[in-house]
Amino acid sequence: MSGRILGLAWRNLWRNPRRTLIAMSAIGFGYAMLLFVACLMAGLRQQMIETGTSLVLSDIEVHAPGYYPKRSIHQTLGGRQGTNVGTLLAAIAADPRIDAASPRVYAYGLVSATTQSAGAEILGVVPNQEQKVTVLQTRIVKGSYLTERMPKGILIGDRFATTIGVGLGSEIIVLTEAADGSMGNDLYTVVGIFHTGLDAIDRGLVLMSLASLQELLRLPPVRIHEVGIKLHNITEATTVAAALGAQLGKTLPVRVRAWPELVPELADYVQFNRGVTFILFVIFFMLVIIGIVNTMLMAVIERTRELGMLMAVGMRPVHVVSLILAEAVGLAAASLVLGGVIGAPLLWYLQVHGLNLGGVGDEVSLAGVVVGHHWYGQQDFSAYSQAALGLAVTALVSALYPALRAARFRPAEALRKV
Amino acid sequence: MTGVLLLVKIGWRNLWRNPRGTLLTALALGLGLTLLLISLGLLDGSHEQMISEGVRFGTGHVVIQAQGYQDTGSQDLLLPARVVSTTEEFLHTGAMKHVLRGVSPRLLASGLLSSAANADGVSIMGVIPQEERAVSLIPQRIVEGTYLNDDKQSGVVIGTDLARKLEVKIGAKVVLMTQAVQQPGTEATDAVGGGMQSTLLRVSGIFRTGIQAIDAHVIHLPLPVAQTLLGVPGRVTQVAVLLEREGDALMVATGLRKQLAGAPVEVLPWRESMPTLVQIFWLNSAFNYVMNGVVLAMVGLGILNTILMRVLERRYEFGLCTALGLRPLQLAVMIIGESLALTAISLALGLVLGLSVHYFFATHGLDMRWVFKSDLPAALVFDPIIYSRLSPSRIASSVGIVFLTATVISFYPALKAARTELPGALKVF
Amino acid sequence: MALCVGLVLLNLGQMSNAADDQRAREIVDRVARLFISKSSISEVEMQITNENWQRNILMRIWSVGEENILVRIISPPEDAGTAVLKVGSNSWYYLPKTKRTIQMPASMTMTSWMGSHFTLDDLVKQSHLASDYFITTSFEGTRNGVAVNEYTLTPKPATVVVWGKIVLEVRQADHMPTWQRYYNEDGKPIRELTFSEYTTVKRRLIPTRLIMRPLDKAGEQTALIYKNISFDVPISEEIFSLNNLKR
Repeated sequence: MSGRILGLAWRNLWRNPRRTLIAMSAIGFGYAMLLFVACLMAGLRQQMIETGTSLVLSDIEVHAPGYYPKRSIHQTLGGRQGTNVGTLLAAIAADPRIDAASPRVYAYGLVSATTQSAGAEILGVVPNQEQKVTVLQTRIVKGSYLTERMPKGILIGDRFATTIGVGLGSEIIVLTEAADGSMGNDLYTVVGIFHTGLDAIDRGLVLMSLASLQELLRLPPVRIHEVGIKLHNITEATTVAAALGAQLGKTLPVRVRAWPELVPELADYVQFNRGVTFILFVIFFMLVIIGIVNTMLMAVIERTRELGMLMAVGMRPVHVVSLILAEAVGLAAASLVLGGVIGAPLLWYLQVHGLNLGGVGDEVSLAGVVVGHHWYGQQDFSAYSQAALGLAVTALVSALYPALRAARFRPAEALRKV
Repeated sequence: MTGVLLLVKIGWRNLWRNPRGTLLTALALGLGLTLLLISLGLLDGSHEQMISEGVRFGTGHVVIQAQGYQDTGSQDLLLPARVVSTTEEFLHTGAMKHVLRGVSPRLLASGLLSSAANADGVSIMGVIPQEERAVSLIPQRIVEGTYLNDDKQSGVVIGTDLARKLEVKIGAKVVLMTQAVQQPGTEATDAVGGGMQSTLLRVSGIFRTGIQAIDAHVIHLPLPVAQTLLGVPGRVTQVAVLLEREGDALMVATGLRKQLAGAPVEVLPWRESMPTLVQIFWLNSAFNYVMNGVVLAMVGLGILNTILMRVLERRYEFGLCTALGLRPLQLAVMIIGESLALTAISLALGLVLGLSVHYFFATHGLDMRWVFKSDLPAALVFDPIIYSRLSPSRIASSVGIVFLTATVISFYPALKAARTELPGALKVF
Repeated sequence: MALCVGLVLLNLGQMSNAADDQRAREIVDRVARLFISKSSISEVEMQITNENWQRNILMRIWSVGEENILVRIISPPEDAGTAVLKVGSNSWYYLPKTKRTIQMPASMTMTSWMGSHFTLDDLVKQSHLASDYFITTSFEGTRNGVAVNEYTLTPKPATVVVWGKIVLEVRQADHMPTWQRYYNEDGKPIRELTFSEYTTVKRRLIPTRLIMRPLDKAGEQTALIYKNISFDVPISEEIFSLNNLKR
């Protein structure tokens, strides 16, 4: 497109500043709002993902192949011989994208107090390593997290405590089938009670030290079931998982899973959330179409004489079309800039201060995740640029009708219009 | 005042001097209303659906249970028989009839389901198929075989995860074992009461809800079979009630409580029986507020744009009117009259278009899968099809807002135009 | 345990419709009643082999009727002293290591007894549901040099078992069972119980070695070996008490 036409287009826009400004404001504000929502949604998604994975799971998990879904205690990493846990952890930590890794042992057993017993999932962890990967320790309501000092300490959910009728300091028995087939059983003391807001965890999960669980299960120290991994940037989960799988797989048969595989309901919801944002974009674009068609049509009709004159002195229809289109794109671009300027402080505010929605009830739990009242935004540049691109394209498309109309002016008739 | 009438008539005719322009503007305005109606409809619809789905996987909008059941979940706590009949009678009369969608009495217990290959713990639900269909979503999530029907008395419906673990397919034999209910006043070591009972069943249907806890442990069987197994003929654990609208839950619960006053029962609206759902409701509500706000603002801006542009461009015309003797106030009235007429046309257009699209989405639904990326996980917990829902008050307020916005906005140029400087306005170029 | 195995066999012997071979019914019934008595005390060794481990458990079992059972483990040493008491539908475990008694919740009654291949089906009382089977003689002749009869048992539609059919082979000479196979409804054999080492105890001839094998998992089995068994001996009720459990 010739620079001259662009220049002309731009000047044309400003010949009627009021109209141009009105249209710009409308579209610009709309864009700013789009940015706002995109930022908020992105923040919400991020929060949900982090909360969903950081309580008990982790961003990535490493298991022996075939471990899921049965989770048999016999399917340890490295098979029956186990593996050098220290070396494995070191190999994992070698990847700079990984923040921390924690070994775990898992079993299902019967937990019994004096009068009541109930089945529970038992997770054996190394306290100081686990706390770098998950945040269950922040949900303790009574007592404290596991410590090295109390190897026979056990952490239970508040609902579970109610079910079997125990409190802090209570003694309980854990009974499970050990790796050699015998009835593993031992006594433990409740050192802490947690509340996550997630029924499944509060009612069915019990934590103890890795070494104690291995002892209960008659498993040697080299046999563990999984390694939980925390990343610096959770958005890289799937890529890192693939790389890790290839890397570790050279020496040890493993299956590495990123969080979308571990909690598909969460991945579902994230997609759904994206979908909703997309619909909002669509609504916005429709409004933009209306706005631009309206504006450009008026601009064209109003300048019938002028355009007629231009064509009379030799401007070809195709250039007229280009002119109108250029005006539309110019309008869109200006609106984008305006929108960006208005939106930027909003986005900054969202990310740093967030939106505080003190609402009904305490925590919110959705798709297995607990979301707090304070919503933080997260910059979603891809969404921003998608919106901008969409806007430009929409502007172009909306201006087509007015542009084509202009091109079909017959100079003689047009000149006669008042 | 004949003056006003004349002005309005002139205003009206002004509109039609440029039919295309007028229609275009009307369309623009109208589309604003249309978009508002569509997005509100979809947001409201998806919100209601979310609640509805949530309660349909649980205990419905309102549930009646034996007192204390919510806390203990003990399968020995049953509803007295007359409570069930009183409830059903009440719900099928007069006012309640219109808000009701379904009533389902259920017997709940836990047990062990065995097949030739394996066995697993299950949550037993004894139901009346016809009634359960109106309340629960499981009958609609059958992927193999069929749901229970009243003539096949030995059928059982299980989830896909359970079917896989037990290695059974449709028609396979399974044995359900459970502890018969402890009736108050009987010895614990009684032969039937408290003893283990088992029954033979055949898998008639397999469902998938996408919720692992349900697909791996919940089974449905005919109520009479469950009652015989548990040794409690004629008794149930709870009555689950589903309504047309979530908003009626409280009213129905209160009504039922009055009817059943004195009986050892608890009548709970869903917010009390399923507190986790309340949180989801709140989260979704908050989402919707944000969304509504944004759409409203966008539409508002669109209206602003359209009207301002239309009115501000006619300085020449207004200048002419003033030159021809029209007084400022009269000019203002004429402009406002025009505006109102235009708005009326736009609203009519927008309403017709908006309601038609809403109707389409209300009956066919919007399939969100169009919006999703191609690789959707197989078992989506959320129903991907959203049905639009618009209450009359929503429609009224939307129309009202658009009308108000358009009118208020047109005051500014009306007033401005009324004070137009003559020489300046009559300049053509 | 004797009781349990007896129950398994008892189910086979229930009377079915008159059209069946009367003789066959008598034989199957006798097989079913091999281990049934008013009371019994036995010493049983259970050898369990599965893909993950292998164990030999020696236990002493007291039983009265079908309601009361006490099992005490004698060996291996790390499990010695563990006891299980079942009275009616309640069961308790005594764990010597922690010196605690816990009640097993009905829902946690494990499907396999102590990790063995005998299922819950074998242990839970089924006498109310008289399992009806059609019995037909499917083979009469010589196999591996021994004269045997083979009976095919098909459960009647209302019988509460998961099996499609059970096939039982019995020696013609002394009516001792040699093996028993359980099939699912598709005709696939799921598990097999073999009998051997026939010994006379108090004028009863019984197989003292029973092996249960799942047919879809190679190399796995549970063997029950009766080292010692006495029938109809007086057993005091107080044996089946929680106090006794702890000793």
